Amino acid sequence: MSAVIEIEGLRKTFHTLRHGRRVAVDGFDLLVEAGQIHGFLGPNGSGKTTTLRALLGLVRADDGRMTVLGERSPDHLPRVAGRVGAIVESPQFFGNFTAHRTLRLLARAGGVPTTRVDAVLEQVGLRDRGRERVKGYSLGMKQRLAVASALLKDPELLILDEPANGLDPGGIREMRDLMRSLAAAGVTVLVSSHILAEIQLICDHVTIISRGRRVAAGRVDEVLAGFDRHEFLVRVGDPARAAQLLGEAGLTVTGHDDHLVVSDVDDPTRISRTLGEQGLWVGELSPLRPDLESVFLELTGTSTHPTLPRQVDDSVLPDRGPRTAMIDLDAEGVDA
Amino acid sequence: MNLVRAELERLGARRFVQLMLVLLVLAFGVTAATTLAGSHRPTPAELADAQMQAAEQRRQLEETYQRCVARERGVLPEAEAEAYYPEDCAPLDPGQMERLPVAADFLFGVFTFAVEARPLLYFLIAFLVLFGFLVGASYIGADLNSGGVVNLLLWRPRRLTVLGVKLGTLLGGVALLSVLASAAYLATFWFIGQVAGQAGRLDTEFWRSLGAIWGRGMLLVLLATATGFAIATLGRHTSAALGAVAGYAVVWELGARLVLEILDVRRPDQYMLSSYVGAWLTGRLRLWDEHLCANGFCDGIWTLTWEPALAVLLTLSGGLTVAAFAVFRRRDLM
Repeated sequence: MSAVIEIEGLRKTFHTLRHGRRVAVDGFDLLVEAGQIHGFLGPNGSGKTTTLRALLGLVRADDGRMTVLGERSPDHLPRVAGRVGAIVESPQFFGNFTAHRTLRLLARAGGVPTTRVDAVLEQVGLRDRGRERVKGYSLGMKQRLAVASALLKDPELLILDEPANGLDPGGIREMRDLMRSLAAAGVTVLVSSHILAEIQLICDHVTIISRGRRVAAGRVDEVLAGFDRHEFLVRVGDPARAAQLLGEAGLTVTGHDDHLVVSDVDDPTRISRTLGEQGLWVGELSPLRPDLESVFLELTGTSTHPTLPRQVDDSVLPDRGPRTAMIDLDAEGVDA
Repeated sequence: MNLVRAELERLGARRFVQLMLVLLVLAFGVTAATTLAGSHRPTPAELADAQMQAAEQRRQLEETYQRCVARERGVLPEAEAEAYYPEDCAPLDPGQMERLPVAADFLFGVFTFAVEARPLLYFLIAFLVLFGFLVGASYIGADLNSGGVVNLLLWRPRRLTVLGVKLGTLLGGVALLSVLASAAYLATFWFIGQVAGQAGRLDTEFWRSLGAIWGRGMLLVLLATATGFAIATLGRHTSAALGAVAGYAVVWELGARLVLEILDVRRPDQYMLSSYVGAWLTGRLRLWDEHLCANGFCDGIWTLTWEPALAVLLTLSGGLTVAAFAVFRRRDLM
């Protein structure tokens, strides 16, 4: 597949008089191929938005190479800008303009037929509210308008930064369906979000960033597989005895209030057979698969601490040295 | 062209621009209405009386000048020698005076267009300068602050083109408005003069002089617009431009002027931007400085002409605009 977005070694440091030097992105790599719905994850302040802004020419990178649809960014970005729809962070609009006028002005500025305006307003569910002033819109409606502005160009590549921000559950589902339908129509989508369950539902590929560096990248199922410890949840009448028996059978067992977790199990029948032979009948035996949230929290080190509030810069600073320190399944050929 | 049309629509649709237009129309309407209400067509008797008074005053001026010249030549009768005459009689020469008394000066409650057109035009220019500066600053300031520029750059990722089109559209819009407003304004007062006052002496010299003030005023409006736009671009916010002007007025025009006077600096007005604005608008500004007379008698008058004033205003406005484009080209837009 051809690369739609390629970022290699992106670096960006912000300098302010008050806070001094702050490294936002530190040698970050990203590869998005045609047809993917690519999730871009990271804790707050990890460099997601800076990366997207640098890619779109809004922030000047200190170092690194970026291409969008085969053209160097930001120098040659104007050549492909008409094929890229994007929203970055929470876009703002003039409150006194209607959604219709806002989109019409953008369409005119970008040389897009203004007939597209009604079509995209319908697409994002604002058909009947498009003639109202934006200042009366809820956050979710503004977000829909932002997505509409990105769709106005009928893009080949859609870059969405937190598109579900402010949307109600119905809106989130609509956004998910919209992304799927766009992807089915051949649009490549790069989406950053904090709603990890959503990303897991709609994305086929994912890149995770922590403190400006990539910590994982690849197909979602393969990234998750990399964290699968082959654990099983076991419910049984006498957990203490069951734990003893499984331990004697060479299995790693962790006891909980009302169940056991058995790790490194290649064949679950080994658990039921071990316990059954001793007259202990298994009430529940279910695999514990890692989800994106647990992987994300582990990779970025952002799990909650029972007593201390976590600070935004408390996430993991990955090793920048050898590439093997990162989970990069595409690079390691797992995709093949 | 599409971008220009979009920007023009955006400019016209802005509430602040609409508010300023309403204020312009209001100020215009109030001035015209009060002028109309306070003026009447002079009766032949009023006119004859005013003409007589003007002629009498011109005669007195000529007489005074002739006495001064006679004193210089030493042929002034002794009975009249006690009156004070300056060393140099030239300032008393009616032929060298900027303006001689005319009948309109003695017509009370009568609007004379030829006399009032100049101050009226200054008022309009002052309003348009304020309009241009505020609209220029808020147009880009609000766009930078609200993310409108970022939205636009996602569509047209050419920073200098986008900023250039914005400035060009703004200057074009303000120029068009200024031309239309000044034409409507002067035409209205000319009409008031015709129907409820008098037109006065509208000769070639009058129109040439008024045209020169208008032309210089229009350039000043455009420079103020570009300056407001540039400062707001540099400061990323409308308030940056307002703060810069307020800060300059208080710190430099008031504070520094006081300090310069305490330090007995010669010609402190030459360090003040307001002097150059005045010199440019009037063509020639006469200023007074007592320090010029330290070594003997003189009237302490010095003159600032429009040429250096234009150089200063162009340098300031042009420099700020170039700086705004240079900074915007490399700035991180968050």
